[in-house]
Amino acid sequence: MVKPSNDAVIGLGAAIQRVKEMESPGRSGVRGQSEEEEAMAAMDVASDVVLLKKVWRNEKAAPEVLHFEAGLIQRAREQIQLLEETVEELIEIRSDDIVVSLYQMDLDRALFLLRSYLRIRLQKIEKHMLHIYRTHLWNRLSEQEQRFAKRCLDIMEGHLERSVLSRLPYGYQSMLKQSISSEEDDMVPQTQLDTFIFCKAKEQYWSFPVG
Amino acid sequence: MAGQSNPHLSIFSAAEVEFLAEDELIEIVPNMRMDALNMICGDFGPFLPQIATKVPLWLAVALKKRGKCSVRPPEWMSVDRLTLVLEAERESPREFQPLPFHYVEMSKLLFDHAPEDIPDIYMVRSLIEDIRDVRFHKVETGLETISGRTHAVKLKNLSAMEVNIVRPFMVRALQAFYTHDSPEMIQQPESAVNRRPQVVDRGPRRDLRPR
Amino acid sequence: MYGRRASQLLRELASCEDGQLTVFNNDIFEQVIRECNEHNLQLQSLIRKIEDANLDIQTTRNADHFGAVIHHLSLSRNKRCLMGYIYNRAELIQSLRWKIGPVLPQEIQEKLSYSEEEYFKNHSTALESYISDLDLDLTVDMVPPKDPYIRVKVLDDIGEVCLGDHAISLIQHSLHFIRRTDAEPFISQGLMEEFIE
Repeated sequence: MVKPSNDAVIGLGAAIQRVKEMESPGRSGVRGQSEEEEAMAAMDVASDVVLLKKVWRNEKAAPEVLHFEAGLIQRAREQIQLLEETVEELIEIRSDDIVVSLYQMDLDRALFLLRSYLRIRLQKIEKHMLHIYRTHLWNRLSEQEQRFAKRCLDIMEGHLERSVLSRLPYGYQSMLKQSISSEEDDMVPQTQLDTFIFCKAKEQYWSFPVG
Repeated sequence: MAGQSNPHLSIFSAAEVEFLAEDELIEIVPNMRMDALNMICGDFGPFLPQIATKVPLWLAVALKKRGKCSVRPPEWMSVDRLTLVLEAERESPREFQPLPFHYVEMSKLLFDHAPEDIPDIYMVRSLIEDIRDVRFHKVETGLETISGRTHAVKLKNLSAMEVNIVRPFMVRALQAFYTHDSPEMIQQPESAVNRRPQVVDRGPRRDLRPR
Repeated sequence: MYGRRASQLLRELASCEDGQLTVFNNDIFEQVIRECNEHNLQLQSLIRKIEDANLDIQTTRNADHFGAVIHHLSLSRNKRCLMGYIYNRAELIQSLRWKIGPVLPQEIQEKLSYSEEEYFKNHSTALESYISDLDLDLTVDMVPPKDPYIRVKVLDDIGEVCLGDHAISLIQHSLHFIRRTDAEPFISQGLMEEFIE
């Protein structure tokens, strides 16, 4: 009855990040592909919604924006569209109400995951657009998200410019620097990465460097 | 500008935790005939009268609501098993007994929608409530042991709802200890005059591995 | 005391309930802007004083230098407060798009400065064009879905009603299995309740 997967650990984000890197297949190769991922790859259609649920959870729990799962999102949307068409056909041939409503529920669940995933990312982008724009995080966004972020950024810049910056004395008008004498950009709000997060071990790790 | 990330952003709502729990598989016994369902979340059925089959909890509840099946409660949801779990929980003040990650939500859904399918429901319900209380008490006393030296806390067998409830408090507590214990916060830099005005204190940072 | 007014702006943000917006504090905001410009005048005149005395601006550490530093730091601090005030309000304002929609009610609009109103409009438009780019509405489905049908108990005689393509008779204490969307108006009027055994 003892399952190691029931362990929840709360630790420093940085340390957890190391483990995430170890876990993800094909990146560092420290542990290779985990059994779960292999099992998922072996499964057919169903695995995408399992994956979608996983990326949704990760995106929700992570303080910073993660890599956009382009392929997965594409496949999920195709499956959703396919099922939408099926449901319409079922309604047309006046199929059993119960079958229709069960498929509808399945559809609603997948749509919720998809929408919620995109929404969480959008909220992170809205919150940290400037930081994301200026760092490696920018490459994690989809093309559409990049367009949105750039636009938001211009809008925010215009608003700060109008309200504050244009009315300050020369030398203090930068959005990024407190003043002309600042050597680095010291006014960029960024994600607080150095925090604690909860994570659940998928397999046994004998030791785990933290702190 | 405030650089703190929104502490509420990463928390799952009760409805979301329940949503996740609804994907747990459970056995049902249909009382009707229905073709297999090829859904986004997987293929289930075919459904034949009196032939047990496994489906996600949400599907089980939907069929149950429509009077199309009875639910077989999971093995751990029996008076015998739960009595043992409760005793063990009481005997070991520091450890949590292994229960399904979603035991709280699963039992709630089954109590609400399939009460007649659970033998000794009153007993089962009160045992689960007692187990919950004992475990919560342990979580609370566990929190009292957190100190500035805590880099990580291991909580073996903690359930989804339990993690979710303690997460905000625990993360903030550990963060506070971390910030106040750091040498940078304790030592006042004596060279303050020579340094550029660096009032934006992002707290102690440790180098994260480049990703 | 330098910087006191600006900190009032932040205190106003901090004392506000989560997600609540106060009226844009134009009065204090303008005072702080003026303060900034006064600091700058003082700063410039102190620098000129050092220069007029033929002292090296980089190395001089006299009263004028420290005076200038104080004005510089006060100005920077004021700027951070002003930016923080605007930025945090902007975050609140953009969250209204999710909570309320593209059109703000009068009583909220009255709380915004002119630039903030523009900000809200522009940000909403950006969001809308992202959504149409995506061809998937993200402003619906905010909470996990439930069974579209629910079991309800009728609390008061409602009589014959047409739901979808058939009529049902809703008599007190009767139980029905109907669409959640059909039940909601009755539930909110207190005529029905969700039935859970």
